[in-house]
Amino acid sequence: MARRYDGRTTIFSPEGRLYQVEYAMEAISHAGMCIGILSKEGVVLAAEKKTTSKLLEQMQSHEKLYKLNDYMCVAVAGLTADANTLIHYCRNQAHSYTLSYNEPIPCEQLVQRMCDLKQGYTQYGGLRPFGVSFLYAGHDEHHGFQLYHSDPSGNYSGWKATCIGANTTNATALLKQDYTEECSLKEAISLAVKVLAKTMDSASIGSDKLEFATLSKNASGKIVYKPYTSADIEKLLLDENVKKILEDKEKDA
Amino acid sequence: METTATLRFLDAPASIAAFKHAASEDDIEATASACVDMAPREFAHPTFDIPAINNPVEFLKHQTSVDAKNRIKIQHGTTTLAFKFNHGVIVAVDSRATGGSYIASQTVKKVIEINPYLLGTMAGGAADCSYWERELGRRCRIYELNNKERISVAAASKLLANMVYAYKGMGLSMGTMVTGWDKTGPQLYYVDSDGQRLKADLFSVGSGSTYAYGVLDAGYKPDLTPAEAIDLARRSIFYATYRDAYSGGFVSIYHVKEDGWEFISRTDVNDLYYQYAAEPKPSLAA
Amino acid sequence: MEVLLGITGKDFVLTASDATVARGIVVQKRGEDKSRALNKHNLMLFTGEAGDTTQFAEYIQCNTQLYRMRNGMDLSTKAVASYVRKELATSLRSRNPYTVNLLIGGVDPKTGTPSLYWLDYLSSSVKLNYAAHGYASYFCMSTMDRYWKEGLSLDEAVNLLKKCLEELKVRFIGNLPKFVVKVTDVNGIREIEI
Repeated sequence: MARRYDGRTTIFSPEGRLYQVEYAMEAISHAGMCIGILSKEGVVLAAEKKTTSKLLEQMQSHEKLYKLNDYMCVAVAGLTADANTLIHYCRNQAHSYTLSYNEPIPCEQLVQRMCDLKQGYTQYGGLRPFGVSFLYAGHDEHHGFQLYHSDPSGNYSGWKATCIGANTTNATALLKQDYTEECSLKEAISLAVKVLAKTMDSASIGSDKLEFATLSKNASGKIVYKPYTSADIEKLLLDENVKKILEDKEKDA
Repeated sequence: METTATLRFLDAPASIAAFKHAASEDDIEATASACVDMAPREFAHPTFDIPAINNPVEFLKHQTSVDAKNRIKIQHGTTTLAFKFNHGVIVAVDSRATGGSYIASQTVKKVIEINPYLLGTMAGGAADCSYWERELGRRCRIYELNNKERISVAAASKLLANMVYAYKGMGLSMGTMVTGWDKTGPQLYYVDSDGQRLKADLFSVGSGSTYAYGVLDAGYKPDLTPAEAIDLARRSIFYATYRDAYSGGFVSIYHVKEDGWEFISRTDVNDLYYQYAAEPKPSLAA
Repeated sequence: MEVLLGITGKDFVLTASDATVARGIVVQKRGEDKSRALNKHNLMLFTGEAGDTTQFAEYIQCNTQLYRMRNGMDLSTKAVASYVRKELATSLRSRNPYTVNLLIGGVDPKTGTPSLYWLDYLSSSVKLNYAAHGYASYFCMSTMDRYWKEGLSLDEAVNLLKKCLEELKVRFIGNLPKFVVKVTDVNGIREIEI
């Protein structure tokens, strides 16, 4: 039955579904997991890189985390190539807003603009939806630190802590269990590491498989985006005693 | 913006469009070639042709300048006035059309009956006034059919102002008063080809307007009786025709009332001259 | 002959515009309000080419209100001023530019901090403590230079404005009997009699 209605994105199935959009969502649920956690002091984004090989050149640039402007960054789950296009669009929108209004774009507005674009691809003929979900970390004058999620259908929502990609069921359960609204940024980072360690399939976790970034305020009140280097991540994993978490996981299994 | 280059539907309607560029060539081309407009056509911007040359203003200057061959002399001189008072609005105009120093006509109708509830006056280019006020009448009628009620004078005058504003700088010349009676009572607006639109109780427009104001301001008060108001309007136009060489002919008067406008009179200024000359001047004692 | 004045105070902006519409030598109207409320806490005053002024002001007004509808929040004074400046700059390079001069005054609805922007048709934009457009600047800027200080109360600002208008009455050849005076503060925009 599905065959007849999934050839074009513009057509509803008799059950009222848009298969192409659902397939796009499906693509994301196989992607490396991204976690976003909001604290009063800032936002953490963490992501798992799926494709790792010893032969692969360790790139300087991040593969899953991107800065949009001085106040916002995103984590990507899904097709990286699609994400590049969208991030390009997003940066463009953010800066054209600043060009017009001399102020950074309010976070939700940028998310909205991205979603308007995504939505277009679920409605107009001959187009494939973007196979990407994003987690946005941002800060603005109006609502302080914020965390948003958007999916290929063009829906978006605000979160205190959320995750996208593979194994989200487990991760969400863990987040629900351990997240407190009053947590500090450090605690949020710990939680992110813990959730990743517990839910990732692999037996070992290293800087080659992870990306990490925080968005927070520095001493002078300026918003800073801090992408973690490999060394930063190794140190973090050591500090959080990830080895122990992994061993425990092994035992439980 | 590669992502959006071929996907025009994705261009968010960034803002409400300005009227300013409505009459650009693109628009005209678009409206001429395609009839599949999304917006209601009847309220689309004017699709009046402009000369197919780079600069319409220069073109017009070329045709109207003093040393042009076969020069077009546009009718300009006029005296028109309108004022609100407790019994509605009085509109009075002269009837002379001039092209330079030549009197082209003494019997011009300068009050344009847009519909039974709306009047417009004519000053400046006669053709411009009658064309745009007819167009206004058409739009008001369509508004009426769509909304099952008459358009307000405020809205009608705004339609006119927006229409002519789209042609600003292209040589339109009109100074008009739009008046009528709507749900909110008697209304009077001034609209000109600059796109200026004003609401007030009393206006006079045209080369003779200063003379008309001189009589009108001195005698105006809101609680005039209809007869007094009509007399004041007639005298104001008369004294304007007396002093202003570009005004003359007949004084036409209209009275806008709750149930629509009524034509009051059309009097030769020559007759008025003898009539007024025979009357004693009013007392100036305080 | 048109006059616009703006004075920032402790937590408000006081603005005045003459109420006269003239064309050539004829006064067409007394009692015209040459300002538009852009949103609850921002007011724009305008002078310039007939037609352009209201068209431009209402265009900006519509767009700031559209922004609010779309985004559920208002633009700040700085954002509005930047937006208007950009619109003017774009217009300036078009076939027929808007010839309008503006004052934009507003307050931050949370803190009450006032700000006042002076813009002209060449799309200059300056943030000022007090500002004037038109001939008024020749007469009133020195008065405001002399008397304006940080943190004026409304009474003090009104008195300063009165000094300015008085000077216009004494020294300016133009006859401007009426001014529309408005206060913009955290409670919104209101007209006052002075």
